[in-house]
Amino acid sequence: MKQLKAIIKRNIKLYFKDKALFFTSLITPMILLVLYSTFLGKTYENSFRFSLEAAGASASDKLINGCVAAQLISSLLAVICVTVAFTSNMLMVQDKITGAKSDLIMTSVKNRTLAIGYFVANLFSTLIVCGAAAVVGLVYMYISGWYMTFSDVMFLLLDVILLSLFGSALSSIINFFVSSNGQMSAVGTIISAGYGFICGAYMPISQFSEGLQKFISFLPGTYATSLIRNHTMRGVFEKMSNLNFPKEVIEGIKDSVDCNLYFFEERVSISSMFIILIVSIAVLLAIYISMGALLKRKVKS
Amino acid sequence: MKNVIEIEHLSKSFSEVKAVDDLSFRVKEGELFAFLGVNGAGKSTTISIMCGQLSKDSGNVKIGGADLDKELDNVRRNLGVVFQNSVLDKKLSVIDNLECRSALYGIKKSKFKSRLDELAELLDFGNLMNRTVGKLSGGQRRRIDIARALIHQPKILILDEPTTGLDPQTRKLLWDAVTQMRKDNNMTVFLTTHYMEEAADADYVVILDSGKIAAEGTPLMLKNTYTGDYITLYDVNENDVKNLGLPFVNINGSYRISVPDTASATELIIKNPELFKDYEIIKGKMDDVFLSVTGKNLTGGAAK
Repeated sequence: MKQLKAIIKRNIKLYFKDKALFFTSLITPMILLVLYSTFLGKTYENSFRFSLEAAGASASDKLINGCVAAQLISSLLAVICVTVAFTSNMLMVQDKITGAKSDLIMTSVKNRTLAIGYFVANLFSTLIVCGAAAVVGLVYMYISGWYMTFSDVMFLLLDVILLSLFGSALSSIINFFVSSNGQMSAVGTIISAGYGFICGAYMPISQFSEGLQKFISFLPGTYATSLIRNHTMRGVFEKMSNLNFPKEVIEGIKDSVDCNLYFFEERVSISSMFIILIVSIAVLLAIYISMGALLKRKVKS
Repeated sequence: MKNVIEIEHLSKSFSEVKAVDDLSFRVKEGELFAFLGVNGAGKSTTISIMCGQLSKDSGNVKIGGADLDKELDNVRRNLGVVFQNSVLDKKLSVIDNLECRSALYGIKKSKFKSRLDELAELLDFGNLMNRTVGKLSGGQRRRIDIARALIHQPKILILDEPTTGLDPQTRKLLWDAVTQMRKDNNMTVFLTTHYMEEAADADYVVILDSGKIAAEGTPLMLKNTYTGDYITLYDVNENDVKNLGLPFVNINGSYRISVPDTASATELIIKNPELFKDYEIIKGKMDDVFLSVTGKNLTGGAAK
């Protein structure tokens, strides 16, 4: 336990003292927030207005803005919980490159302890950055149009925690195989550019081809995005319902922004989404921890 | 003296390249053991295997009585390693680095503090405690590397080219500290170096070439076997030296004559007493041994 505490303390200190690592993690959500609000905001707004007008309904600017902000922030949080986890987990790769990992191993610390140490420290750093981003996001939504309840906010924070856990576990597994600057940069680029698409954050999954939708429905990240979106937008849909918007219109919007997700035509409930995410985290963590043990056996043989 | 390192028939290949080829040697407790070879000779591969960081293809390794295959944790606990390049966390302070490593060894905070004081005095880094490692000079960082390797009081200190690139003053400080540690704790030092004058002070030397032992013995044995002696003559003229019929070189007006061994030198002096009024006899150097054994010069690690 003392060893685990020492390794976690070291990793967290290194993360916050390494300005390049810290600011790279921090700048990702900031850039995404600016890009989303500048470019995507208007597109989302027009899309909502068009959908409502087509259905013969009309909504106040506040409701439209609240709806757009909720979608933007949910997309932002869905992406950064994973990309920030990958960025902050670069420490694990840097330790291999600088030889620090060889030095840590010489202390006869167990590989499992080292692996858990990297994971916990990474999770902590990711939660700090993503938690701050969530607060900024909530402020943005409050200014744009607030429809969330206390329980929505709590569920949103739970989603951020779960997705950060998922991102940390996934990045730990992938970074386990990364051992050079070139590979590190390639992984960073692929994740930054690709994850937002395959989790349905940059573009709703409903707009993808059927085959791609089926493929994406097997990825746990998709359900995490949907969970966040459901919790940020629930209040908006409730308001629409109170304003007597046709149920079909509300369900149509839910389908179009991936609040409703389907697995082979079967609608996935919120509780199932939670189960999928939690099971995925458990499986990824089990794989990661056992990889450390396998490595030890390989060196011994 | 008992053996503290026992390596038998150790082999390791990378694809077609045999990095270590049926290597066997022993290191005695308290010894300064020099492990020499040009880059690629197999030194670092052997050290990585000894530290349990690289798997071996075959052979047995015992360190401090612990079998590498069965008691890896005990092997590692017996070793303190100063790697070729500093592996400490450059963004953290000296004390943060040492405290973290100490905690990973399971050393209690109070014991760590007393050990830190001992090492700070020995290696003279008391004033560097709160400095960031990345901002230290090469010599200062090397001192902290050694402190880190010694923090858990290992039986064996592995120094992998510890003084490369350091100024003479820092090299002296480091060697004085290591000598003190050996004297006080009977610590074994396993050294790889490109400085032959450091190897000349070793108790035992192994010269590695292409993964195999090319020569081994005490520095004296190696010098006697692989090099001759040199007699430097002063205040003589060149023709008299030529008449001796031995190879010589003119060094700023003095003449250095090569003889096969000390007995030959003695014989030469007795035969030519009129010539040998002002002279000195020195044995060949470890550089000459290395050149003779491997056919390569060991200068900054590059074979020449």
